[in-house]
Amino acid sequence: MTSPSVRITTVTKRFSGHVAVNRLSLEVFAGGIFGLLGPNGAGKSTTIRLIMGILEPDEGSISLFGLPDGSRKLSARIGYLPEERGLYKKMQVLDHLVFLGETKGISRHDARIRARAWLERLGIADWAQKKVEDLSKGMQQKVQFAGALLHEPELVILDEPFSGLDPVNAQVMKDIVVAIAAEGRTVLFSTHVMEQAERMCDHIAIIARGATVVSGAVAQVKADFGGRHVALGFTHDKERATAILADRTLVASIDDYGASAQLQLAEGADPQALLAALVHERVGLRHFELVEPSLQSIFIAKVGADAAVARAEVSA
Amino acid sequence: MKKIFSVVRREFVERVRTRAFLISTLLLPVFMVAVFLLPILMSGTSRTSRVAIVDGSSAAVGAQIAGMLQQERLGDKPAAEPRYSVQVFPATEGQLAAVRDGLVAKTGFGRGHQAEQWTGVLVLTDATLASGKLAYYGGNVGGLEAMSKLQRTLSRALATWRLGKSGVDPQLVARATAPADLQTIKVEDGKLAGQSGEQSFMLAYAMGFILYIAVLIYGQQTMTSVVEEKNSRIMEVLASSLTPFQMLLGKVLGVGAAGLAQMAIWGGSAVLLSSQRGPLGMLFGMNPSTLQSLPIPSMSASVLVVFLLYFLLGFLLYGALYAAIGAMCNSIQETQQYALFVTMFILVGFFAMFSVIRDPNSTLGMAMSLVPFFAPFVMPVRWSMTTVPPLELAISLGLMVVGLLACTWLAGRIYRTGILMYGKKPSWREVWRWIRA
Repeated sequence: MTSPSVRITTVTKRFSGHVAVNRLSLEVFAGGIFGLLGPNGAGKSTTIRLIMGILEPDEGSISLFGLPDGSRKLSARIGYLPEERGLYKKMQVLDHLVFLGETKGISRHDARIRARAWLERLGIADWAQKKVEDLSKGMQQKVQFAGALLHEPELVILDEPFSGLDPVNAQVMKDIVVAIAAEGRTVLFSTHVMEQAERMCDHIAIIARGATVVSGAVAQVKADFGGRHVALGFTHDKERATAILADRTLVASIDDYGASAQLQLAEGADPQALLAALVHERVGLRHFELVEPSLQSIFIAKVGADAAVARAEVSA
Repeated sequence: MKKIFSVVRREFVERVRTRAFLISTLLLPVFMVAVFLLPILMSGTSRTSRVAIVDGSSAAVGAQIAGMLQQERLGDKPAAEPRYSVQVFPATEGQLAAVRDGLVAKTGFGRGHQAEQWTGVLVLTDATLASGKLAYYGGNVGGLEAMSKLQRTLSRALATWRLGKSGVDPQLVARATAPADLQTIKVEDGKLAGQSGEQSFMLAYAMGFILYIAVLIYGQQTMTSVVEEKNSRIMEVLASSLTPFQMLLGKVLGVGAAGLAQMAIWGGSAVLLSSQRGPLGMLFGMNPSTLQSLPIPSMSASVLVVFLLYFLLGFLLYGALYAAIGAMCNSIQETQQYALFVTMFILVGFFAMFSVIRDPNSTLGMAMSLVPFFAPFVMPVRWSMTTVPPLELAISLGLMVVGLLACTWLAGRIYRTGILMYGKKPSWREVWRWIRA
């Protein structure tokens, strides 16, 4: 396949003076799981709404499947779970799913069969005839999840799909997402939970303040960032390490967790020299490992303290 | 197209399933029947008024007036109860005030103390005979119908007395002043329409009322349901697969279909009830002939068609406007101040209908049946009451369609932006920008 499923080209979106998305470019290729990462207020949901055609970009262009049509024309090929979950509270679960299927252009008959199958798969088949408002929040989210996937779309866009779910249900959803990707379909989901993205995604884009910070295949992003990271675990006498860890010829940056730390070696520094220095100072070590950087650490290194002010920034 | 149909079906089915729909479907006919039957039941129970006449005139005209009052009956039949029971209290000019005040002191109490109380006190003086001026003190002076009846009888009594004094035979006077008994029969295209004037009035009134209620209730339901969709955030899911126009049209048509279904149920049961009113009336212990004489109008096919056409067009027009207002707001409370503008148009149309019923061929009536906002209320009423030239109907319908398209376009523009706007409510200037965007 030549053209990407989603191509965003230098898109800008402003809301009353506040730039939500700033000259953002992004490509999502067919197949696999793509993670859209970023702190709260980074512009993830706005980006997704732009892809869905719910918002119109002020500048730039968006194309889906290499076609110029908007997402509404292509809605039969796209499944969408918005960040703000919403269902008709008074409708029966099964009727609701059938209706959502119909709005995607599948027949009532097919929609009914598929809806039953999905309710079965999600373990809420007993609730088919209940009203949506009688369901727990988690169950409602499952129903909406099923609604987004009912028409077997080739591109699935999920905005924070795992937020608000208990671990068991999050696991069920994760399995489904993985299964979709295994069928060769494309999943794009947004999250601010890095560990999750790290385990599931093969491609990512980290955005902050409406702009792309880093994007690409996860392995590539990690390789580009530099593999010279060291995870440390302390048992005692951690204070003896203070001087060594502050030595900028050895350590470029440190992410200190107290009893453990993750640090990035300085350019040209030898990890053996670091270990020797720590042993020499008789620092109590429990753990010393050369690791590839976590997305979390890449994220913090790239976005840094700026992320904290991303929300507050409003240009006059 | 198929998607619009899904939205219409959902809207219709979910609405018809609610308890509110069931209750309103059952309650309105009960209410209507009550409105029709209550006056009949009430008039059956109206009582003889006890009237005291304080006669301060030198010609002792009190007895003569009392005689005429006593001839009045509560109903049309000769066997009916007398309308007044009268007692005359002659008084000299000096005593007049005292006698009057004594009687007034026993007037204006509730029904409990009938025997010794007066419904009203009539005061006659010499001036009455000369100028026609006289006073009535009573607890029921607010009852317009009772007062006008009393005034008519008194006028006749005074005229008879004056003519008698000039030497005219009282028998002749009675015959000469017998009131005209006017029967009205509607003519349509040169043929008798089989309707009395009263029936055609009732029909026009009922149609106008139903249009007003239906447009107001269902229009507002469209508005609240849009707000609910915004609040439940389902809008975003829908917006990803449906165009705003599909959503708007589906919603208005769906709500309209539910409204039509409800009216069909009402109309069907009304036809059934009126055809079976004899046996039904017996169940409630009512005289079948009283019920048969009820002016229940028959609706000709052309009136029905015009009525349905205007209902449909009017509802779609107002439904679209209400939906646009729903799209602009975040809560039901917020909608109220915007909805007022739309409701105003409906109210003006509704109240114009009353004046049109009184004079269906007036310039006002003709002008209003050309304005799309008012035509749905005014035109069916005129069509049922008078003969409207087909060209006028065609122009009115044409303008109605143009108005509908314009309003739908406008609503669609507002809807497009409004449905995904949360937070603060827009100013008029912002709404204007949405329309132009």
